[in-house]
Order: sequence, then structure tokens, then C-alpha cells
Amino acid sequence: MSQLQARFFTENKKYVVDDVPFSIPAASEVQDLSNVINKLLEAKNASHTTVEFDFLVRGLFLRTQLSSHMETEGISTEDVVEIEYVERLTAPEPEECMMHDDWISSVAADSEWILTGSYDKTARIWSVEGKAVMTVAGHSDVVKDVAWVKRDGLTSLLLTASLDQTLLLWEWNSERNKVKARHCCRGHTGSVDTVATDPTGSKFCSGSWDKMLKIWSAVPTDEADEVEEPGDRPRKKQKTQQLGLTRTPLMTLSGHNEAVSSVLWCDSEEVCSASWDHTIRMWDVETGEMKTTLTGSKVFNCISYSPLCRRLASGSTDRHIRLWDPRTKDGSLVLLSLTSHTGWVTAVKWAPSHEHQLVSGSLDNLVKLWDTRSCKAPLYDLAAHEDKVFCVDWTESGLMLSGGADNKLYTYRSSACQMDVGA
Amino acid sequence: MEESSKRSEQRKEMEKERKKGEKKRRKEEEEEEEEILIFNHKSAEKEKEDEDLSDSEDSVFSGLEDSGSDSEDDDDDDEDLKVDQNLSQQEEEEEEEEDVQSSLKKKDEEEEVKRDEYEHDSSDEEDIRNTVGNIPMEWYKDFPHIGYDLDGKKIYKPIRNKDELDDFLDKMENPDYWRTVQDKQTGSDVVLSDEQVELVKRLQRGQFGDVNFNEYQPQVEFFTQEVMLHPVTNRPADKRSFIPSLLEKDKVSKLVHAIKMGWIKPRRDSRDDSRGRYYDLWASEDTSNLARHRMHLPAPKIPLPGHHESYNPPPEYLFTDEERALWEQQDPVDRKFPFVPRSFSSLRLVPAFPRFIHERFERCLDLYLCPRQRKMRVNVNPEDLIPKLPKPKDLQPFPTTQSLVYRGHSGLVRSISVSPSGQWLASGSDDGSVRFWEICSSRCLKTVQVGGAVKSVAWNPNPSVCLLAVALDSAVLILSPALADRQVVLSSDRLLSAPQEAEPIEGDGLVNWSDTEGEELNQGIRLKIQHPKAVQQVAWHTKGDYLASVMPDHSSHLQVLIHQVSRRRSQNPFRKNKGLVQSVSFHPIRPYFFVATQRSVRIYNLVKQDLTKKLHANSKWISSMAVHPGGDHVICGSYDCKLSWFDLDLSTKPYRMLRHHRKAVRSVAYHRLYPLFASAADDGSIIVCHGTVYNDLLQNPLIVPVKVLRGHVITHELGVLDVTFHPTQPWIFSSGADATIRLFT
Repeated sequence: MSQLQARFFTENKKYVVDDVPFSIPAASEVQDLSNVINKLLEAKNASHTTVEFDFLVRGLFLRTQLSSHMETEGISTEDVVEIEYVERLTAPEPEECMMHDDWISSVAADSEWILTGSYDKTARIWSVEGKAVMTVAGHSDVVKDVAWVKRDGLTSLLLTASLDQTLLLWEWNSERNKVKARHCCRGHTGSVDTVATDPTGSKFCSGSWDKMLKIWSAVPTDEADEVEEPGDRPRKKQKTQQLGLTRTPLMTLSGHNEAVSSVLWCDSEEVCSASWDHTIRMWDVETGEMKTTLTGSKVFNCISYSPLCRRLASGSTDRHIRLWDPRTKDGSLVLLSLTSHTGWVTAVKWAPSHEHQLVSGSLDNLVKLWDTRSCKAPLYDLAAHEDKVFCVDWTESGLMLSGGADNKLYTYRSSACQMDVGA
Repeated sequence: MEESSKRSEQRKEMEKERKKGEKKRRKEEEEEEEEILIFNHKSAEKEKEDEDLSDSEDSVFSGLEDSGSDSEDDDDDDEDLKVDQNLSQQEEEEEEEEDVQSSLKKKDEEEEVKRDEYEHDSSDEEDIRNTVGNIPMEWYKDFPHIGYDLDGKKIYKPIRNKDELDDFLDKMENPDYWRTVQDKQTGSDVVLSDEQVELVKRLQRGQFGDVNFNEYQPQVEFFTQEVMLHPVTNRPADKRSFIPSLLEKDKVSKLVHAIKMGWIKPRRDSRDDSRGRYYDLWASEDTSNLARHRMHLPAPKIPLPGHHESYNPPPEYLFTDEERALWEQQDPVDRKFPFVPRSFSSLRLVPAFPRFIHERFERCLDLYLCPRQRKMRVNVNPEDLIPKLPKPKDLQPFPTTQSLVYRGHSGLVRSISVSPSGQWLASGSDDGSVRFWEICSSRCLKTVQVGGAVKSVAWNPNPSVCLLAVALDSAVLILSPALADRQVVLSSDRLLSAPQEAEPIEGDGLVNWSDTEGEELNQGIRLKIQHPKAVQQVAWHTKGDYLASVMPDHSSHLQVLIHQVSRRRSQNPFRKNKGLVQSVSFHPIRPYFFVATQRSVRIYNLVKQDLTKKLHANSKWISSMAVHPGGDHVICGSYDCKLSWFDLDLSTKPYRMLRHHRKAVRSVAYHRLYPLFASAADDGSIIVCHGTVYNDLLQNPLIVPVKVLRGHVITHELGVLDVTFHPTQPWIFSSGADATIRLFT
């Protein structure tokens, strides 16, 4: 068996070739096929410049010889093979490196600004170009998580969650470069490890070490909520620590047996939380009831949800990234396991504009770029960090970010990724 | 299946054929019967038909035709024979058929008479002069006759009146005496003729009786070894010469079948003839009276001599110079042989055996010292002795890989403790600091300099307070790290600042409770309990109010103190301590107190104030102890590399000893929720074991070692110093002499 009948097709109009079966060597690899396509395109269009392609056989990336791939996947070599090709994602290049004073615990970025939380008890705002814009100081302990709430024009609302059991809602004016603590959200009795804003920007949810999830209003007001204080506490002490107006939670969701490690909004009515009690739970925000429980076998460190493919990705302490279908009822159906990390997976993030790609960070110092169509191995290992990676993010504009215990925040950009965004 | 079906088909066909044949035969018979009715008229025809019949079966008996000779007469004979055979084949012979045969035979006889076949027959040369036959003639010795002739008349004996003298004279005078013989049949004397004498002489010489017979006539070789141009006979080769014989095959297959079924035994090994050739000195021994005795031991046998002992052994058995030198060097006990093989050309030259007395003496010693008793040895498969343990894979979860390393200490980390919430890890080191780590990120969030090598740290197990007891030098510090909810911090502060009732009790003067001030207070140190001696270990009660401290001092009365933090009281629970106290622990549920000394673990009832139990650890020096969260099981690690598991309901002896470590066990720990326990040793390894405890008293705990965790670097001969489990996850922390703390998940 030396030749195979193959038919090439692509979604991309730019690179369409004739829809006729070709006879190609069975031993050909990605590079050979790529050359074939380039030859065909050149024959069609003299001005074509060489493009590297990746090939999908029945929805899986070709990584070995075509014949061995088909053998492992159990595809008959008698028929004409349908091979889809896409432009290869080029290796993401590190763009900027932003030095912090201490470990970076969290990162949240949008198209213009990057918000990072750090172990030096501050949050920082950076421009995408890597310029330090603002240092948000106010917490009395490590900032564990940060989130953008809303951007209207020059003023933005942002959130920081800290080990000192509070969340702070800040208002930041980018023109005057002034930041002001609007609300101090009190109510958790453990360190607040995670915070997520709902898609409308009117509410946010926080998860804490005290096993609780709390829903808060994200709308800044000028009135402080009443806090029921225990009678015997001296009031004076409390006043001195006040920063911003006190805010109490709208709702408390309890049900986890262990610390909540990660929380996110699936849509404006549904919150999803991952915990150290080996479960991922879905909550209805309207009623405050738990809807679904996905049970794993290990502690979950992080979750991410992609509305494009409607999958949850979870990173856990057993080094695997697992993909879940959150719509299954009380099942623990793992759709796919991505295994390549050698340490705890501390952060995962789906690509906001690509339904197959996700990025993950781990305690083994590596950031990995995955494609779910190639589940055996990641697309790229981004080995920029010299210490543990704690957080990753991926913006709409195709910018990947990762921060960790080496005090550095790296941004990466992949050229093809940007093209995807444009397309 | 196919074959068998084919075979059955074949069988059916054969059956059909047979039936057809039978039918045919029956038809023929019927025809014959019909014919027989009119046989007399048609005998000739019948003959013809028979011949036809024989012709038709010629092919079957074609071999017979060949065997016949070429002559015309014989041919006829053959025909007859064939007819005979054909007839014999017919199954039912009718009377009329018989007639046919007899008629045929008559015909034969007629032919034979013509030929006179007895013409040359000399096979029975009967003496027909006397008809008595071949009988002993003495039967007739009393009768005057000697028999009867052919006509039935008596044959009278010849008158013999010769006596000895006549006989002698006859012998002397008669020249034919020597050729005169008596005919026994007739009793008369016969004088042999010359020809007869000559014949006798020839026969006596062993020559042919016939004078004319030339025994040396030239031989005409019919078959020679020389290859001839033409074949001797023009006969075509037999069919049997190139077709394997079915008969033989059948015979062989029958034999094979019989051998397989064991009906006949193949020939014995012909070499096994030793029984006949050699005399076995010991063969009859087993049948002796002694053998019937159950515990009888036969006398040891002398080994049979080999080539070495030969007076003229083959050269390879003789010693080379090196071998000889080696033999001389060796101790007489170690020598392979007690003699040097020597070679003599003949047995005559062999000298007297110098070691004879020696050898006999040794033989006597052998017999005298041989074992008298049979040791009963049960033949057990060693595999069966190993208990069937479940596979470690089935016992998950347990820690398997190193996940995080907590770096920051500069001295060896002697003790670690995890907060009851599972968020914080406290560690005490020889560098004089206590550090607080965030477990999930390995971040050191707080460092407290306590100014002395920390021997032990223990987190208060009560989740509503957040306190850490630290043992260093001769003091116990109570730290409030303020790493929890404000409420918890406040309640723990309240616990410490409880109203001081200055009531001096028995513990007074032994220890000094003091509040800290200034810098120490800022660091979180709240209380200092000054002890008279160096404190080695601290342990909290589950409720979090009582604290026990250990001051090992040999045979002192003051080795263990129990402090009540809320009332700032201390007491010495024991009037007397035996041995060096190594470790103490409170029972997790009941008011019991465990005290481990070097050799044993004592369990005291704190309410009744008496000794409940004493566990014997079977080890030289207990290093550490841990109590199962259920309270009914205790594990002890010892400096002689052993880990002993005690089941308190079972015995005071260890239920199980685990000797997996190669160096001293430093620390042991139980998991609070999972059925796991672990031991850490100086060889740098942590061994995690699965230990399920059953509520059923009849079921013993299931202990399976599941994982060896390595990671710590051995420094100054010290490996892992302390080990502890995470309160809620199946994770294990270990601190080592390499100044690191490691988390395995």
C-alpha cells in the first residue's frame, strides 16, 4: 500500500483547491501534504505565497504519517479519504514581559488593558503594550483574583478578591488615571479565591475558602449596606479598616463541602463553580438552587467555559485537563482528557474566538496551547516562565497572557490566531 | 464436522452398495434355486455359469492366476480350485450344490488315477513283513512268535540256542560275523552285503548315501549379485511393493491404539538391567523391621566411589600443579576430597591405604552423629503463604507524585502541621523560624522568628480557634497567626486572655506562664510557657483546650506535662515515669492518654487515673507514634526501621510489623478521613500504606503498602523528619533535612 486516494477541502475560501481525488503517498506527513496543497494553489494562482497547512482527518489533526494515523483511527484505506486543511497556527511569539514585584496570582485582560492581581497585596493595570498604568492598592492581604466589570468610555469598574476575605469594587478613570474604591464587599469568612462578573456586568459572583459562593450587585451606589455586627465587637476597630462603602451579598449559594477554587458565569442566569470537594456545580442564580453536579476524582483548580463549543474545561491536581458537557444531568461524563502537563493544572482558558483551542498553565512552569482536535499532544508548549504558572488569559483580540511565581506576566500572540479573529 | 459428515455419507453409500450387492445375490440365489430345479438337465450350463462367475471375479483374485504354473494340466487344476473357492464363497450351500461338488471331485479323482501319483512316493516305507508296527519288541519276549505277517499268521522267532560260548566261537570263526545284524522285526540274522556295508560306512562318515551323487558339482546361480542385462523374470512388480499394505497399517494402528489405551506396554528400557548386574547393599533395608517404625531414619550412606578414587584415574581427574597447590593451601575441612588422586600403572603397585583408620573413624562419627529424628517439613508453596492483598491501583486515592515544594527555610525542618481547615501549613525549623505557607500555591505568607531551633509545631485541632503551639528549647509558645476569619482570630485571642485565676495548684513552680510583649506580640506570639527542661514535643487534645508537652529525661518524674490553655494551668499527670518518654498523644474521642517510651506504649485513663494498657512494641527505640482517628489503633515508628501497628482490641503485641524502611523511621501519621497512614525515614523515603479499619471486631485491619514517595535529599545522614496528611485531601506533606517541605498528591 503506497498510494491513497484523498480529497482535500477547506472552509477557507482563500485556499480552495479543486474537489477531485488525488493519489498521494500513504507515508506522507503533514509537511508533504502541505507542499501538495501549496503546489496546487500555485498552479491555480501564480501569486500564491507558500502557507503552512494543518490537516484534519475526520476531525482529528494529522500528526503522524497518514497511513499510521488512519490505522490508529480505524479508517478504511480503500475509500477516498476526506482531508480537511486549515492554515497552520503559527507558534505564539512572546510579545511583552511585564515585571511585577511579587508573584502574580491572577490576570484579566480586555482588548486595551490588562489587570493583574499580585501577592504584594495590590492589583495592577497595564496597557496591552506592556506599560504599567496604575497600581491598585487597598487590600490588607494577597490579591487572589481580579475581574473587569464594565467599561463605559473612560471609566471602568474592576474587582479584586483577596485573602483578607473581602472583595473591592474599584472605579478607575483611565483618562485621569485615578482609582477609587467604591465598595468593600464583606461577607466571606475565608479567603476569597475567585470572582467572576456576569455577562451583563450588573452582578458578580465570588467563591471563597469558606465553601460559599456569593452573588453581589456590581452596580456602584452611594449607600452602604447595613452589616449586622455582633454586639460585643468594638465598633472603632471596624471603622479604621473601612475602605469604600460596605456591600453585602445578594445571595449566598452553599453546597460545596470544600473550598471553592473557581467560579464563572455560563450565561446571565447560571453560575458554575469548581471546588476542592472534587465537584463542579451549576447554580441557578434566580432561585439560588443547585442544578447540576459533575463529580470528578481530584481537586479542581480551575474551570473555563466556552460558549462556542459549550464545553467546560477543568484543570485539576492530577495533571489532566478534562472537558465536560455541562448540560448532562448529574452525570460525570468526561468528554476528553488532555494530558501533557506534569504538575497541577492551575489555569485553563478557552479561546474566546475559536471553538477548539484552549490554553492552560501548570505548576510545571509550562503554558500549553491545545486544540481539542489533537487531544494526544498540545499544539505548542510555551516555556517562557521560570516558575509556577498561576494564571492564563486569552483576549478577544487573540492575545494570550500568563503569569506566575517568577513575577513575570508574559503576553503571546499568534499570527494565525489574529487572522481567525479577522475572519 | 465436514469430515465426519463426509464419512457418514461414504458409509451410507457403502451401505447402499452392500444392500444392492445383497439384493443381487439374493436374486442370483433365487435364480439358482430355479435352476436347481432343472439342474439335472442343465448341469453343463451350470458349470459354464460358474466359470463365468469366476471370470467375473478374476480381478479380485488375480494374484492366484500368477502363482500357477504354465502347464496345461495345472491350468485345469487352477480352474477347479477357483471353482472351489467360488463355491466356498457362496454363503448358503444347498444340498443340490453339494452334489455338484461331489460330481466335480469325482472327475478329479479319475484324472488322478490316470497319473498314479504314488509311484515315487517313499514317504512311508513301512515294514510290511511284520504288522505289529513300531512297538517295543520285548512285549513279545515271552511268546514264541514275534508278530504277525500280512496274512495274519504268526511269525515265529528263529530258534536261538546260542549261548555265550557259541557266540564267542562264532565271533572268532565266522568271517561275516561283523556284518551280521539282527533284524528286530523278524528276529532273524541278516548278513549285510558289500553295498550295504559301504552305505553304512558312507553314512558314518557323513557322506551322501548315493555314491553317484556329486556333492561338489558346479553351482548354477540363478540369482546373482551381478547386475544382469535382462530381468530374471519378466513379471511386473507386485502391487504390494509400491502400495503400503492396508493390513499392516491396520495392525499397526491397532497396536498404537492398544498402547495408547494402556492395554499393552511398550518394551521396557533395555538399559535398566542394573538389578541383575549389581548388588544393592541397601535395597532390602526398607523392608526391615525398622522401616516400619514411623520415625525411622536410615543410616547415612557412604558416597559411591568415583573416578577420583580409582587407582588409575583418567588424566583429567588427576590434580594439576595449581589444583594441588590449592588443595594444600585449603583447610582440611574445605577440601573437596580428603586425598590427592594418584595414578598407578597396576593394582599391584598401590600402597597400603594410609587414611584407613581415619576414614573408618569418620564413618563411625557419621553414623554416631547422624540425625535421629525426622523433621516434619510441610511442603507449602511459598506463593500461598503471601496473603492476597488488593492491588494498590484499587486502593486509590493515595498520594503518588510530588506536586509542590515549599522552599524558604534555611535549616532542617523538624516539624510541620496543617491547619484544620486545610489551607495553611505551619513548619518549624532549626533556623529559628516558624513559617506559614499557603498550601495551594506554596507561598510563604508569614514568618515568625522565635529565636531557637523549633522542635515541634502543632496546630490547634479546634476549627473555631486558630492557634499554633511551638516547642523550642525549654519553652512552649502559643502563636496566633491570624490566618483565619476575624471571628476565629478573636475567639482564639479570647481563649488566651481568659481571666487569670491565680490559684497555685500542684503544677505551680514547674512551669511559668507569661504573656508576651512588644515585638513578639506583634509577630503573633501570645503566650510563653517556660518549662524546666527542653521540650521535645507538643500535642493538642481534640477539643483544643488541653496541650501536652514532652520533656524527655531518663527516669525523671517530670517528663510529661498537661497544660490547660484557657485556665493557664499545668499539671504533671504522672508520679513516676518509667523509661524515656518519646511521644505523647491524646485519644481522639475518649479520655485516654498515650505515652510512648523507648520500648512500649502506655495508655492511661485520664478519668480513672490509672494505666489501662501497655503495648509492647518489639522494637528497640520508638521514635514516633500516631493514633488512628477512630482511636482503636496505634502505629509506632522506631529507630530500628520498623513500623508496628497495634490493634488495641486485639492484643498488646503489634498486629503487624512493617519493615520496609532501610533506615530509622522518624515520623508516622494517620489520615483523618482516608484509610491511609504513612511513615517517613532517614533513607529519604516516605511509605504510604493503605490501612482500612473495619467496625466488625472479627475482621482484622487491611494493611497494604501502596506507594514509596521519594524527593527529599539526604543531608547530614538525615532524610525526612516529619510527615503529616492534609486534613481533607489524600495529600501528604513531608519535611526534610534538606530545608524543604514537599507536598505529594
